[in-house]
Formats: sequence, C-alpha cells, structure tokens
Amino acid sequence: MSFGEYVISRWDTLSLAAAEHALVVAIAIALAALIGVGVGILGHGSPRVRETSIAAAAAILTVPSLALMTLLIPLTGLGWGSTLISLTVYAFLPIIRNTVTGLRGLDAATVEAGRGMGLSRLRLLAQVQLPLAWPLILTGIRISTQMIIGIAAIAAFVDGPGLGNQIFEGLSRLGSVNSLNATLAGTLGVVVIAVLFDLFFFAVRHLTTPRGLRVRP
Amino acid sequence: MFDRDTDGVRIELRALTKHYPGQPAPAVDNITMDIPAGELVVFVGPSGCGKTTTMKMINRLVEPTSGEIRIGGKDVLSLDPDELRRHIGYAIQQVGLFPHLTVAQNIGLVPKLLGWPQAKIDARVEELLALVSLEPSTFRGRYPRQLSGGQQQRVGVARALAADPPVMLMDEPFGATDPITREHLQNEFVRLQKQLRKTIIFVTHDFEEAIKLGDRIAVLREGSHIAQYDTPAAILSDPADDYVAGFIGQDATLKRLALVRVSDVPIADPLPDAALPQVTGDASLREALDVMLAHGSDRCGTPSGVLTYAALCAAVGSRPEKEVSEGVMSGGEVR
Repeated sequence: MSFGEYVISRWDTLSLAAAEHALVVAIAIALAALIGVGVGILGHGSPRVRETSIAAAAAILTVPSLALMTLLIPLTGLGWGSTLISLTVYAFLPIIRNTVTGLRGLDAATVEAGRGMGLSRLRLLAQVQLPLAWPLILTGIRISTQMIIGIAAIAAFVDGPGLGNQIFEGLSRLGSVNSLNATLAGTLGVVVIAVLFDLFFFAVRHLTTPRGLRVRP
Repeated sequence: MFDRDTDGVRIELRALTKHYPGQPAPAVDNITMDIPAGELVVFVGPSGCGKTTTMKMINRLVEPTSGEIRIGGKDVLSLDPDELRRHIGYAIQQVGLFPHLTVAQNIGLVPKLLGWPQAKIDARVEELLALVSLEPSTFRGRYPRQLSGGQQQRVGVARALAADPPVMLMDEPFGATDPITREHLQNEFVRLQKQLRKTIIFVTHDFEEAIKLGDRIAVLREGSHIAQYDTPAAILSDPADDYVAGFIGQDATLKRLALVRVSDVPIADPLPDAALPQVTGDASLREALDVMLAHGSDRCGTPSGVLTYAALCAAVGSRPEKEVSEGVMSGGEVR
C-alpha cells in the first residue's frame, strides 16, 4: 500500500488522532497561559515570586517527558489526565518568563504617568501594562505551543490521546506491513498541526496587537 | 474635591519630611512653605537636592515620612491617593504617553475615570488640543509614536490639564526637547498660564527657565532646604547668599532686564522717532539693549515713544556713569 492509499484508508483513525492531539495541546496551552500569565503578573512586582517561579518552571523542563508522565500515573491514571497535566507544566517557562520580561520592560515613565494620573494598580495593569506587554506574552505562548505539540506525541506511552500512537505503533513493528506508513503519517500529522497552530497565532497577533504599537512614525 | 475660590487653591507644606530607610540623611528635610493660589512656583536646585521628591509627595507618588500637606485647606494625606491624583495635573519630562492609545484617548483618560459623558470628553479634547496649538482634526486620531518630541510634550501638558485640575505638578515638562522647541513651548506655556491661573509647582534645574516661568522661585539646596523663596526680580537683585548667587550666574542684571517689558518702562520722549532702531512694546528690556548695542545707539524707538539707556538703567535701579553716557550720546569714542 502506498502512503497515499494508507492515509485514505485510515482517514477516520488518523483524523480523530490528529483532532485529539490538537485538542489536548489547546487545552493545555490555555491552562498554562491562564496560570503562567497570572504568575508572571505576580512575579513582575515581587522578586521572590519571580525567581522561585522561573526556577521551578525551568526545573520541570529538565525532567524527561516520558518520566514525568509515568510518574503521574499513580496520581492521575493513564490517558488524558496525566497527558494534560504534564503538557501544561512544560508550557510554563516561556509564558512566565515572557510575561515578566514584557511587564518589566515597559517604559518607566509610562507607568509613572499612569500612577500620577490616578489609575489604580489594577486599572493600570489592565488598561496599560498588559496591552503593552501583550505582543511579548503572546510570543511566549506561541513558543510553548510549538514545544508541547512535539511532547504530546510521547503521551502515547501513557495511553494518552494524539498522533503518538501512530508513530510509536509503527516504530514498534518496523519492517512489517504499513509500519513505515503509520510512523510517517503520525509524524507528518504533528508537523501539519504545528504549522496550523503557528498560523493561528500569527493571525491572533495581528488582530490583538494594539494599533498604536504597529504604526510607523 | 478641593474648595476652590475664584483664584484657585493654595498649597501648604508643613514640616514635610521624607527619610528613605537605610539612608543617613533625609531626602527632604522638614520643608515648610506656602504656594499661593493661582501662582506658578518653580522649585530650582541641583539634581539630587530633593525637589522632585518634594513635588511627588504632593500627589503622594512618594509617601511622606512626616509632616502635613494641605491643598485648598484639605489634608491630602487623609484622601484616597488615586482619587487625589485624578484632581492634580501631572506632567513629566519623559511625558509617558500611552503608546497604544490615540492622542484623544490619552487626553480623555482622566475625564473618563471621573465619569464624564463621552460628548463632554470629546469637546474637552478638541478644546485642549486647540489650546496647545495642535490642530484637533489632524492630531486627535494619531498615536504617540507618530508625534515629534515637541508634539508629545504638548499632548502631555494637554493630558495633565484634561480634567481642569486646580493644581498642576510639572517635572521638567519641556526638558527633553531641543532648545528652539523648548523656548517655543515655554512661551506658549506662559501665555497659557496667564489664561488659566492654576496653582502650579514646576520643577527644573534650569535657572533661566525658572525666571521665565515663575511667579515665585524656591531655590533649594541639599535635603530640599529653602535657600531663598521669592519673586524672580527679588532673587536676582538681592540673592540671599553665595549659593543663590552662584545659581544666578554672572549676568544677574541682564536677567533682570529680561524680566521687564518695554511697555512697562516710562519713556523719555513720547514722540515716536522713526529714524531710531525700533523694538516692540512686548519686547524685553534685554532685547531693547541688544538692539541699542547692535546699532551703537543709546536709545531706540518704541511704539509709544523713545526708550533711552538711562531709562534701562533706572529700570534695574542703577545710574549710568556720566562719561559713558555722554560718550555714547555724542556718538564719539567711549573711553
């Protein structure tokens, strides 16, 4: 069977796996963005929160993904639970770091003028600091997404969702019928998902960056 | 928020002190002063003397260690800081416009916080842009990055004026512009303040700027101690000590001439003389002297008559030496 024939004959399985792959990444990145931006906001004002959270997020990244997912099995079982949690925590570092950098990198005069005009801390954050730091925060989210799309393939080992099953199933019986096709289909699927997510973030960036930051003098 | 009478509000500082923890000496040490309603008071002093800290305590961007601040009789330290700041205009050297908001949104921000209806905000934005000489239809929709430095400073001033606060705090608001733009902005600001009569505290390290803008000048030294607090003319003619004299520089008399306008001086001969070099009534005596020197003459024509060198000297309280004035008058050599 050629690769094309393989994809057509297994389309239902492949498209379901791809959809699950994308879904688990989307949920994980949404959670990581919510928590990571929150921690980043706390961290930009407090050196202790900043240093601890970045150190912790960096430490998590040093744990091999297979090890982390396996370690989670006793707590969250096989499948979605462990996959989601590990993907979420892997996504923290770029998001927290870019949020902190974005907020700390703002022109001090802008913040001082805002305080001097009578904006409360919360209002200043919501109306001035976050919109201005947003392009950098979004870049962090985008980097994290690219990272965990690859890691999500490993989830096959803990019976998780996604295209990993295709890849590793194919690899495990290499040489037999359609094994190469299965691996290839899974791998190419991951690439396609990565490209689609990147296009999505490109569009989001374009639509959500304040116009005043895009204009040329 | 503050009780305003027709002349605006008065600011009183009482034994105001800021001592940062871990520093040997207070940044601001026990300053007491009154800023009369509707006057522009300039704090001038070297960098690090505490002038900016003193100013920032008034809108509580810096919380005082001890002392008292009253604006229009109200105890500032008992008010909510955010609410307080919405009623005090604030303009700083780096301007700090919000780059993601248009000029109109930047100016309209405080009125919006104060709950003004949108129609009133729009009208106010128009009015303020016109006031700072920016064509509203052109600039309303622009973003700060599309403005030159001088235009940004103007928008900064307009933003500080937005909610018509009775009190303004300005920290070298024209500092970041080139000398020509700065002079232009200063002149416009003098004109503006004549109209508005707000109570303004203006911080600068530039004594020329202080003379030009201030109704009164507070010369400050280390720890925000007041070296002298008086009108520009009084400080120039009678500096309190060497420190103040050092600040004024060598040309105190020329600076005093710059404070007086030609139209304020009694003229020797009420008949205009078209043959003489001419100055306008609005020109300063310093400019008139410049014209006289340039033409080697001891007199120049004004719209209402003839201004003499002797009148210039009288205006700064000195008498010309006879020989010199005779020499100049006869057009001959001066010894």
